Amino acid sequence: MRKIMMLSLCFLLTISQLWAQNRTIKGKVLNEKGEALAGVTVTVKGSTTGTATGTDGTFTLSVPPTAKTLVVSSLNYVAQDVNVVGKTSISVLLVSTASELEGVVVQVPYGTVKKKAFTGAENTIGAATLSRQQVTNVTKAIDGLIPGVQVTNGGGAPGSGADIRIRGIGSINASSSPLYVLNGFPYDGSISSISPDDIESLTVLKDAAASALYGSRAANGVIMITTKKGARGRSTVSATINQGYETRGIPEYDRVGPQAYYELFWEGIRNGFLTGGDSYASAGTKASAQLTDASHLVYNAYNVPGTSLVDATTGKLNPNASLLWTDNWADALFQVAQRTNANINFAGGSDKSDYFLSVGYLNEQGTAKYSYYKRYNFRLNVNAAATSWLNTGLNIDGAMSRNQNVPNGGTATTNPFYYSRQMGPIYPVYQYGPTGNTFIDSVGDKKLDWGVPSQMGTRPYAGNSNLVGSLALDDRHSDIINANANTFAEVKFLNDFSFKTSFGINIWDNNSTTYQNNQFADAQSVRGRSTKSNGRQISLTLNEVLSWKRNFGKHGLAALAGHENYKYKYNSLSLTRTGFQYPGQTELDNATLTESTGGSYEDNQTLESYFSNVNYNFDQKYLVSGSVRTDGSSRFSPGARWGTFYSVGLGYRVSQEKFMKNVKWVNDLKLRASYGEQGNENIGLYYQYANYFYANGTGNFVAYTRPANADLAWEKNKATDFGVDAVLFNNRLQVTIDYFNKVSDNLLFDVPLALSTAFPTAYQNVGSMRNYGWEFAFGYNAVRKKDFDWRVDLNFSTYKNEITKLPPAQQKTGIISGTKKLMEGKSIYDFWLREFAGVDAATGEAMYYRDVLGTGGNPTGQRVLTNTIANASYYYVGGSALPKISGGITNSFRYRNFDLSVLATFAYGGKFYDGNYAGIMHSGSYGIAWQTDILNRWQKPGDVTNVPKLNTSTLATQDGTSSRFLFDASYFNIKNISLGYSLSTKDAQKLHLSGLKFTATIDNAWLFTAKSGMDPQRSFAGTSDATYPIYRIISAGVNVKL
Amino acid sequence: MKNFLKIGIVVFAISFASCKKDYLDTKPSNGIIETTIYSTTASLSSVLNGTYKSLFAFVSRHDRFGQKSVDLACDLAGADMVVHTAGYGWFNSNYQYTNWINSDATTAQPDQFWYYYYDIIKQANQIIAGLDNATGTIFEKESIKGQCLGLRAYAYYHLINLFQQTYKGNENKPGVPIYLTAQITGNPRGTVQNVYDRIIADLTAAETLLTGKTFTSKVAMSLQVVQGYRARVALVMEDWTNAATYAAKARIGSTLMTTTQYTATSAFSSIAGPECMWGSLIPASEATIYASFYSHVDVSTGGYAALGTQKKITKALYDLMPATDIRKSCFTLPTSTSTSNPAYNQIKMRVPTAGSWAADYTYMRASEMYLIEAEALSRKADDAGARTALQTLVVARNASYSAASLSGAALLSEILLQRRIELWGEGFSMIDIKRLKTGLNRLTGAGNHGSPSLDPIVYTMADADPRFILRLPKRELDNNTSMTPADQNP
Repeated sequence: MRKIMMLSLCFLLTISQLWAQNRTIKGKVLNEKGEALAGVTVTVKGSTTGTATGTDGTFTLSVPPTAKTLVVSSLNYVAQDVNVVGKTSISVLLVSTASELEGVVVQVPYGTVKKKAFTGAENTIGAATLSRQQVTNVTKAIDGLIPGVQVTNGGGAPGSGADIRIRGIGSINASSSPLYVLNGFPYDGSISSISPDDIESLTVLKDAAASALYGSRAANGVIMITTKKGARGRSTVSATINQGYETRGIPEYDRVGPQAYYELFWEGIRNGFLTGGDSYASAGTKASAQLTDASHLVYNAYNVPGTSLVDATTGKLNPNASLLWTDNWADALFQVAQRTNANINFAGGSDKSDYFLSVGYLNEQGTAKYSYYKRYNFRLNVNAAATSWLNTGLNIDGAMSRNQNVPNGGTATTNPFYYSRQMGPIYPVYQYGPTGNTFIDSVGDKKLDWGVPSQMGTRPYAGNSNLVGSLALDDRHSDIINANANTFAEVKFLNDFSFKTSFGINIWDNNSTTYQNNQFADAQSVRGRSTKSNGRQISLTLNEVLSWKRNFGKHGLAALAGHENYKYKYNSLSLTRTGFQYPGQTELDNATLTESTGGSYEDNQTLESYFSNVNYNFDQKYLVSGSVRTDGSSRFSPGARWGTFYSVGLGYRVSQEKFMKNVKWVNDLKLRASYGEQGNENIGLYYQYANYFYANGTGNFVAYTRPANADLAWEKNKATDFGVDAVLFNNRLQVTIDYFNKVSDNLLFDVPLALSTAFPTAYQNVGSMRNYGWEFAFGYNAVRKKDFDWRVDLNFSTYKNEITKLPPAQQKTGIISGTKKLMEGKSIYDFWLREFAGVDAATGEAMYYRDVLGTGGNPTGQRVLTNTIANASYYYVGGSALPKISGGITNSFRYRNFDLSVLATFAYGGKFYDGNYAGIMHSGSYGIAWQTDILNRWQKPGDVTNVPKLNTSTLATQDGTSSRFLFDASYFNIKNISLGYSLSTKDAQKLHLSGLKFTATIDNAWLFTAKSGMDPQRSFAGTSDATYPIYRIISAGVNVKL
Repeated sequence: MKNFLKIGIVVFAISFASCKKDYLDTKPSNGIIETTIYSTTASLSSVLNGTYKSLFAFVSRHDRFGQKSVDLACDLAGADMVVHTAGYGWFNSNYQYTNWINSDATTAQPDQFWYYYYDIIKQANQIIAGLDNATGTIFEKESIKGQCLGLRAYAYYHLINLFQQTYKGNENKPGVPIYLTAQITGNPRGTVQNVYDRIIADLTAAETLLTGKTFTSKVAMSLQVVQGYRARVALVMEDWTNAATYAAKARIGSTLMTTTQYTATSAFSSIAGPECMWGSLIPASEATIYASFYSHVDVSTGGYAALGTQKKITKALYDLMPATDIRKSCFTLPTSTSTSNPAYNQIKMRVPTAGSWAADYTYMRASEMYLIEAEALSRKADDAGARTALQTLVVARNASYSAASLSGAALLSEILLQRRIELWGEGFSMIDIKRLKTGLNRLTGAGNHGSPSLDPIVYTMADADPRFILRLPKRELDNNTSMTPADQNP
């Protein structure tokens, strides 16, 4: 690097010459990768004359004849002095300080702070990194980039986002999600409505020192999203278009075909008769006779009579049988989807003002037909210095989107993912006659089979339905409008003071329609059903912040004090009507009947806060910071609503010490420590401090199911952090290591009560939980050559979650919650399941462990086997759903004008309960598909296998949730591969452009899991759902800069 | 000067920041605070109406719709109802006796039924507690309190019959916790006798309070319904005198349906009918659609019944009805080849108008009171009285019927047969099997239980089999500090 600088300096010196009048210097500023740098300040050394580069990295500056040197500086880059004697045109290469802490600025509550002076733990992802991934919601781009941050994949529904947990699971019953802050305002709106193209940076505040200034809402960490702004230089135009193709990112499970399906069911039915006492011969004969009758599989997909489809003795398919149809539900319901994203922005400014204007369009189809997300968004950010002491600005954005969706998640037969997985292979999409002939409907299409008696019979799974037909005729969409308007005014006075008042509004409005068609399926009998609902959310934040900053010799002191009001209002309105005369009519005016009474309600929440923050440093070496915030929340009773939160942070920049000057291999070294208490008031439900009777929509009031608790207050989160930031070996290696210990105390616990009190639960501040662990982040510049760079970023973290205190009544028994049991000393996601003991080789039955009970019903410690799942005991089996280690690794390469980056995410350890798989490993539920593992079932005495025998008469006693379906949740995911080619500046200029870049990306390229079809990043709790699977997207894009 | 201006702006801006005192006081727009609810009898009546609504409200799953989901479960566990095919599977676990021991899942029936009744008890207790200080007339307060006590007795009656064997011979077995106030601490099980004592005390008090109170709607827990429950309770306790007395009192004001009325689609789905004593009025706007009783039993709704789980009478019971008996027409002819409306399918309980979900639930009919009276008198060896009660009822169904020749055991057995026929599908099977101590006997063969209809898995069970009673929900045992694992049912 230094060589390059020396070379350019020599070059400049050799052509030096003197000039006598003002002259113009043109230039361009590039970074190490040869990318143009926007917003770089260029000033004449020793004067105030200056300008800034535009988005194409160029500048034009008129300089006095005496000017010899220009200072080229930009945040996050090492400033450079450039000799311009005798030059009219210069090219400057700036070296990033990302590796050096020097100059890096991080977003913190109510301002920014230099990273080197920061005592907290944070991570920032910049626009360049974000733009590598084709995401609609920025939360989906975070996975694997930041240590200590765990992210679900969020599924593949168009427009969907991911869930995020920072440093473990913070709460049991209150929310564990972080606080989102958009451009300095706590954000309640839709994150999908913020175009990632507009985002300049995303900062995750992880410890108390970083986030405590957000007080009662910061316990789970803070994610600060900052949008782009114009640089005070020449105006630029940048346009990007990206086109992608989506396919399923997680494959469907392999399932058996029609022949195996009939043979297996024959076996299951026969075994049922054997259980009932029949002889082998008689059971086989009965099974053959009944296989396709109305109480069993109903459908016969072959051209031989159902009674002779499967041989009564061998159980094999009739060799003369040939298939009448081979319909594939998945092919009919899913598609290769397209995604188009286009964005254009105009940015720039003068010395007194700057602007950023962007317009975007997104059309993301879903991999399921009839689903898409379309978004139109715009943003305008203007900042101006009205006078030398008054700054003001406005940042407004709006997005209009339509989310056309199909039901997903859950086991409803309207969910195409569940439906197509569960559907046995012998049930066709279209109606077939006895010879395999199809039928034609009135409009000339092949008639669909609805699984009803008037067609091919009552389909045993999901009768009276055909999603190919009903999804096409149904309509489920939301029209969402999300808008933000943020403004501020800042007054500077008395030299060191500034006063800033900011006001922000977010409006989110969702107008949705759920229409079930009037011709077929669920709503046929009522001639269609349409529900119209509207949800509108308005949140307002107003704050006033007084800041003061002064240096006294080596002492630096900065302080701020502020006040903030927050107000949130939600309105809901909905109505359902039925009785639609004509197809395709979804508006309620066209309906004849009111099915449910309409409903509406309003919710309000308010917060009032006072806060203060002090930062002190001695010689940039010893750093101390402290924050305190007092919040009053409407969620708690007047006597309990005010809470105070604080933090203290310490920093020691060891590398500033004299004795370190000679330690050449250490470029920078900082030690950090922080402690603080933050709050969590997010229990979602309001008014837990008073008993309210709620209207039931018909004018009557019904009793509350959860008794009030007037003493209810915040959860307290006590967070400790120790960290090291180091830059080593000539800036080649950057290391950050943190240890954290977060104790969530006074948990807002939804304490279970005796069910017979008919108060199933009551909120109390009891219990505590802790999350503690280590985070590691390494950045290594493996190669830094003129034509070739290679950088590796690796981060990983490991943490443990432990419940340390439960409510008194539950300390002995624990609290069962689905497949988990909360217990002191265990984690929130420790599996509590019946333990599968394998298959009895003699009988083929699934065996489970059962405790032997002694006097008083307490287990003696002895265990016996049982073949009745309801009698099985529950145990902690398999451990926790939380991974032992999770993280990500990014390899970035640059060769000349090409750049390539590969992001892989991984988790090791942890367990996953795959209910989706369990659903298709039944022992004989008529009509339901089978995963191919069923071929390993027990068949005869002596068979050693872990798949029990098929038996249609013992489903209820044999099948059920147990450790049988618990798998290793470890995964390795090649999440993003991004390849780019930037035209050289010279070539771009030939095209009258300032820049041109082509990109090609693959997101969710490959996922490796214990079992193909499994989706271990579905939930933090390690459980599956028949959800919209994530998609793999292959895309190509072009970016043009003028 | 300029600094004054700047500071002036700052001070001005800060002055805007001060808030009104009530800024942090927000309240729900769709809720009424307890003190307001407790202020007048009129507002407490509204809460009572809410309690009546919970008798048919849909709660999260398609097999949870209040009293009728219990009734359907109890009939499916009996010997006279056959399930056509597996269909969507709802309630098949009752037919196949697999849900009764499933106490862990909050979605399983022990948990659901337990909570359903205790929620009504809690609501009744809350209203009773609020009455004392509410403004309103003594008359209004008596009426509300009487209904609440009646509802509380109703809930305890069903609870004890679901979670324990019958009364007689089991008086000292564990009962179910009793609550007289809304509270958050759990009570112990007590004994069966404790529970029946409570039920009788509540019904007796309710009877006094409700005397002279009339209601315009059969939704209310009226004096007649309280007396009807007193008769039901006495029948289970084998207190034949009270059973007969109260059954006779309870049906005052009701008349039997004519044959035309009996076969109308609205016969059992409109509380306006002459026989209905107690039910829920369910207009289309409050119907629970697929999660309703009619979805599970009436094929004309296109609901779950039409999707494979048609509910059929056994051929055995069907054949016991003479051709002249109007009740025989409540079932599809054995010759039916329709796949949606198969042979023996019930068409007794139907929505009044196909295509609309508006259909009431019936919980108590006058004909049951004739049957209780007849049975009680017969057991008291008052054959003449028993015959009169029986004859009055059955002749309304079958004009050529005569009980004149019957006496003694034959008369009793005829009364019990008529009870099975008359009350088929109305929720009585389980309690009757338990109190009569017959055990479960499901007949097989064409038209009865088993293939080609859904396999019931369980065909016979001896009297007092543990499967006749639900296990206590795990949530109760885990969180009730007055209970230990030893309190669990076998």
